[in-house]
Amino acid sequence: MNVPTRLCFLLVAALAAPRMSAAIEWIDLRGAAPIRGDAATGAAKATVCVACHGPNGNAVVPAFPRLAGQRADYLYWRLANFKRGARPESVMTAQTANLSDADLHDLAAYFAAQTATKSPLPAMPSARGESLFRDGDPARGTPPCQGCHGADARGPADSRFATWPALRGQNADYLAARLKAYRDGKDAVSSNEFVMRGVARSLDDEAIAALAAWLASHSP
Amino acid sequence: MLLSSVALADSGVGVDTWRATKLDPTAGAAVEGCDERGTWWLVPGQRRTPTGNLYPCPPASAPLHERGDWTYSGVLQLGYLGTGGDDDAALWNRYAFWDTGPVLGLLSVDAERAQDGSYAKLRATRVSDDDQYYQLAFGRAGSYRLQASLRDISNVLSANAKSIWNGVGSNTLTLSDGLTPGGSTPEQVAAVSSAAAERTLKVKRSKQVLGYSAYLTPDWSAYADFSNEQRKGARPYGGTFFFNFPFPGNGGVFETVKPIDDSTMNLNAGLRYAGAAWRLDFGYSGSFYRDANRRYTFQTPYALTPVVPNAVSAPLTTGQMSTEPDNDYHNLKAALTRKLPLNGEFSLTASVGRMRQDDTLIAPVDCRGVFGIGLGGSLQLGPHNPFLYDCAQWNTPAALSRKSADMQIDTTLLDARIALQPTADLSVRGGLRFNRDDYRNGYLMRNPLTGQYGYVSENGSQGSVVPGESGIWAPGADARNLTRIRSLPLDLQTIDANLGADWKLGERDTLGATFAFNRYEPTNRERRQVDSSSLKLNWINRSLDWLTLRASLTFLKQTGDRYDYDPYEFTWSSSLPGFIAPPGGVPAHTVEAMRKYDLSSRDQRKANVMATLTPREDMTLTASLRGDWNDYDARIGRQGYSTFGATLQWEWQPTPRTQTSVYYGYDRSRLREANVNELNASGVDPRLGGLTYPLAGRWWVTDTQRNHSAGANLRHDFGRVRLDVDWNNLYARGVTAYSYASSLALAWSDTVPNDAAGSGAFAPMRYRVDTLALALVIPIVERVSLRAFGVYERGRVDDWHYAGFGTGRVIDHRVYTDGGPQDYSAHLVGILLDVQL
Amino acid sequence: MPLQGSVRVASRCRRGLQAGFLAVVVSCAVAWLAPAAGAAATDDAVAQALPVAPGFAKAKVAVNPNAPDAKPVGEATCFACHQLEAEHFTHTLHSLGLHAANKADASIPVCETCHGPGSQHAQAPLTKGSILAYTKNGGTPIEVQTKTCLTCHEGGPRDHWLGSIHQRNGVSCSDCHNPMAKFSVEGSLARPSINDTCAQCHKDVRLEFNRRSHMPLPEGQMSCVDCHNPHGSLTGPLLKTNTVNETCYQCHAEKRGPFLFEHAPVRENCLNCHTPHGSNQHALLVAPIPFLCLQCHTQLRHPNDLHTPQSLATGAHPDERIMGRGCITCHANIHGSNAPAGPKFHE
Repeated sequence: MNVPTRLCFLLVAALAAPRMSAAIEWIDLRGAAPIRGDAATGAAKATVCVACHGPNGNAVVPAFPRLAGQRADYLYWRLANFKRGARPESVMTAQTANLSDADLHDLAAYFAAQTATKSPLPAMPSARGESLFRDGDPARGTPPCQGCHGADARGPADSRFATWPALRGQNADYLAARLKAYRDGKDAVSSNEFVMRGVARSLDDEAIAALAAWLASHSP
Repeated sequence: MLLSSVALADSGVGVDTWRATKLDPTAGAAVEGCDERGTWWLVPGQRRTPTGNLYPCPPASAPLHERGDWTYSGVLQLGYLGTGGDDDAALWNRYAFWDTGPVLGLLSVDAERAQDGSYAKLRATRVSDDDQYYQLAFGRAGSYRLQASLRDISNVLSANAKSIWNGVGSNTLTLSDGLTPGGSTPEQVAAVSSAAAERTLKVKRSKQVLGYSAYLTPDWSAYADFSNEQRKGARPYGGTFFFNFPFPGNGGVFETVKPIDDSTMNLNAGLRYAGAAWRLDFGYSGSFYRDANRRYTFQTPYALTPVVPNAVSAPLTTGQMSTEPDNDYHNLKAALTRKLPLNGEFSLTASVGRMRQDDTLIAPVDCRGVFGIGLGGSLQLGPHNPFLYDCAQWNTPAALSRKSADMQIDTTLLDARIALQPTADLSVRGGLRFNRDDYRNGYLMRNPLTGQYGYVSENGSQGSVVPGESGIWAPGADARNLTRIRSLPLDLQTIDANLGADWKLGERDTLGATFAFNRYEPTNRERRQVDSSSLKLNWINRSLDWLTLRASLTFLKQTGDRYDYDPYEFTWSSSLPGFIAPPGGVPAHTVEAMRKYDLSSRDQRKANVMATLTPREDMTLTASLRGDWNDYDARIGRQGYSTFGATLQWEWQPTPRTQTSVYYGYDRSRLREANVNELNASGVDPRLGGLTYPLAGRWWVTDTQRNHSAGANLRHDFGRVRLDVDWNNLYARGVTAYSYASSLALAWSDTVPNDAAGSGAFAPMRYRVDTLALALVIPIVERVSLRAFGVYERGRVDDWHYAGFGTGRVIDHRVYTDGGPQDYSAHLVGILLDVQL
Repeated sequence: MPLQGSVRVASRCRRGLQAGFLAVVVSCAVAWLAPAAGAAATDDAVAQALPVAPGFAKAKVAVNPNAPDAKPVGEATCFACHQLEAEHFTHTLHSLGLHAANKADASIPVCETCHGPGSQHAQAPLTKGSILAYTKNGGTPIEVQTKTCLTCHEGGPRDHWLGSIHQRNGVSCSDCHNPMAKFSVEGSLARPSINDTCAQCHKDVRLEFNRRSHMPLPEGQMSCVDCHNPHGSLTGPLLKTNTVNETCYQCHAEKRGPFLFEHAPVRENCLNCHTPHGSNQHALLVAPIPFLCLQCHTQLRHPNDLHTPQSLATGAHPDERIMGRGCITCHANIHGSNAPAGPKFHE
């Protein structure tokens, strides 16, 4: 066997061998293609969702996220991750199990197209929350949230970052729960969430509560 | 100053800036694959350099371990290398002595202590005895660095040498068995040559380096680097016992084997200051060269025959070749820079140096008895034998006008420059530079034993074949001999001045212009003053996100004072009192119309364009165009030299797991020269078109070199395996074409049918190399992977100098040792176990 | 600082004294050569109070003219979003040194030494120029980039940066260096080696090294920076020494001489006959012998004849003036001869 043949043989053998290196087990949302869904079709499938997430996705239960007006790309990837089972067991895993990928697109489009209403929950303005959102806290290594989520907390204007969510008017309990999960190293399977894991590491319970309260206190 | 003064070596002083082998020219960087996570979590892809090239993906570095205060990481690659095909070929092994056997691909350990910034680094590779390095560095970031390294590298000069001498590599070459000094026939020599085993001639450089650099304070830093390098081996060289071409069966032309056995010590040390307003840089460089040999000798197998009847040549059998003299070099340099208002700087540098050698001189000739021609068949010295010389008067250092060389060049450099940036959009600069080499001493060739001037030409052989051409001049019988009697001291002086400005036209364009003047004043050359003036215009454009363009145009004109075609008269016996010119006069030194190209008047135009384009976020296209056109004002000599080149390169990094690049380069150079053959070998008329150099003797050569280069590289991580494929190709073709005014121009006019003008060309000189390199990295378990690689290379070389050498390297009284460059097809396969420590 | 250093040297020397002569020599040498770390290695108490390495004493928050109101935020804030970069940065010399300096003196920043104060960038990261960026479209002018690097790296090998060909052509430090990850084993380069780095723009020159005779650069045995100082020098081609010949003599010291008998073009400039990078002739020659030599030599008798293929071993008149080594078969010591019988370089 001459050298090139030997090398080809080796190559084929290597490719045929079982994969030994660690596979990518996270989702790369950097530069993810924009999603397209049909809001009207999504509306038909949203009946189950509104039970928890409220009419048109305007959830009133503080622990559940408000979906109305949220960015479609964010919603889609969040749903897709539930469906993949990549997250810790969640009630959403079962909810998405029987949905097709097209369904997820449509649902995301539907909720994104809904008009968010102001939460009926009592607003709790927080100066500390506002300060963290606008300026961060360099002493603790907290970057200002507005850098990525937009000065108005409606998400970044740049379409390259469509998978980054709007925070304005979101339910405070939900926000706090998510931030705590990030901080404690849970619930991070995508590149975006890796960023949040690093950011939340600098937040203590008090800071999380202040931020969540301040964000929730705004009209969407 | 942090990085360069504590990096491997200094970008400002000395060599040894890189230690690697052909196995991995990146010295370990190529070992690390890409971090599949990319550069950052926020956005995909890579950023671009300010020029627009993509930064590579960051490497997946070896895991860090902790031990006490220290963290460390390391890589060990051990394995086996096998070579095949024509794996002895010189071009395959040059500077990379592949060998079958175990190989240390890389041992790399990096340790650091976060507490204070201390670090230690070890790097080593061993491919073979002739290709290895070991390097250890220890330091503290921003404080100091100490390092030591050992390195071996071989330059393979010939892999098909056949020597008719014993003692290759020594300073005494004696003829192989079966050959009689001064008494062998070409057939006998040819038989010995063809029966000789092919051998490799190489020179191995072994170097030891010690380096130290440190910050003494935030403003003061110091460095000292010491190196010692030994060169050992042998290389093809020359050796002469007079012409063979005019005298079949006579003379002797030898490609001998020169022993290389020397060492060089280099020392660089300096002190630097960088303050808020002032900067200082003091440096010393020293170099000390020592050669174990002062000369080597070789035996000639051939007898010499006089060209006159009824005479006999002296039986010379030994030739000698001096080696390079031991030399010492010192240089002191001081640079002072002052910041100026208007964002400016003024800088003044002074440097003085001395190169000196005072090697003991060898005797003019290595012979016993007599040299020269014995008339009437007698080799008895005496008045009846005016062309016969006594070896005893010339084979001893006593025959020299002084015993040692005592040569020295003192160098001086002064450089002043200023740069000002009065506004953000305008910068102006100017510089003045003075450089001088003072050549101290000269050598008059006078034999105090005999009172004669001159030298013993070609180991005594020339005067043993042609009466009166011994190289010796003396009043009386030898007073007509035209020979060299003095050395040629070469003082040089250069003054440079330049003035330039750059304007920023908004954010996008920068225009620049530089005017430069150079005055070169050599002594004892054809011109005493050569002036050149140039104007360089340049343009930078960054108008678009996807383009950086840099272009420049240069116009240069070189002129000078009167061109004296023969400034060398004083080095010849014709300058001595008592010299008797031949009846017709002293032959012309050369043709008056010759203009040596370093001094001739010349027009030069240069153009340079470099463009970096980004057609897509993950792609880069780089293109360059370069042209350099020189027209020389020379009827005889170099008339034109132009080069033109273009390159195109495409790089694509779609993901951290995949990178690929493709390039193509084209390069052409054309050299035009004119020369003239003489009508009369002792003619005295220097004019082109005159009696000695008639127009009919003119000839022209155009040498055109073309290079096509192409290559492609793919690196892809399949997950299970990482693949690296590299293909490089070079196709070079050089054509030397000639034309002539008549057959008078030719060395051998009988080879053309008539006296008319004609033309022709040598067979193309070709060099074609294809290299395919393949590497696979297969992870086995965590931190252990297998690296399998192969290199296949095919080289094709045609060099007409060696045409016909395949059928024998002994052609009458010419003996060639090297068979010339060889075609080859060779390959290398290797397996390395790659362990992250 | 120097005073403290000498006290430390003295105390270490004394310690060596108790252990014999060799120990004295070694400990004095180490103490002198390694002013700070030598002490740290033996004395933990000193190590705790280790001063900032002098090379980092000038590290401070860089000035960003595009964000004059920005405030420093500290590396923890940067790393919150830039975790991956932080991880890659860990493997660099800049990281090692800046972190050690930051430990010794908290006023020395890490990221913001090079990138300037981060507050405006953190609030509006997509605003170009809000942070000092060393990239093509980052919004930081080249001059600001280089000026920032030169805050610490001024002088020495970069003494003649201002006005150098690379500076005037708008080349930035970060065109060649990327200290954000260990892309190269030495030199914080942007590509895996010096040669690869230069070839980004000078691909044509890099290809010359693939020719039949060349300097051992493709083999990794030397680098562009052995001869050239890309940061500026006293010569046009950015040579590290005063002249072409001095540059060559660094490795070819035997050619320095001066010789008893000199060959004028050799003494003047090696590049009269050789190309510096590579050629398809023997020994990096500009043109094939004898035509290389015959550009200047028209002397009577043997030099000025026109040779044709008939002068080769395959021709009608094999002729030593063109076969094999050609002219230098006889004029072998063409670089100069130290033999008293060598005025024509025969011996």
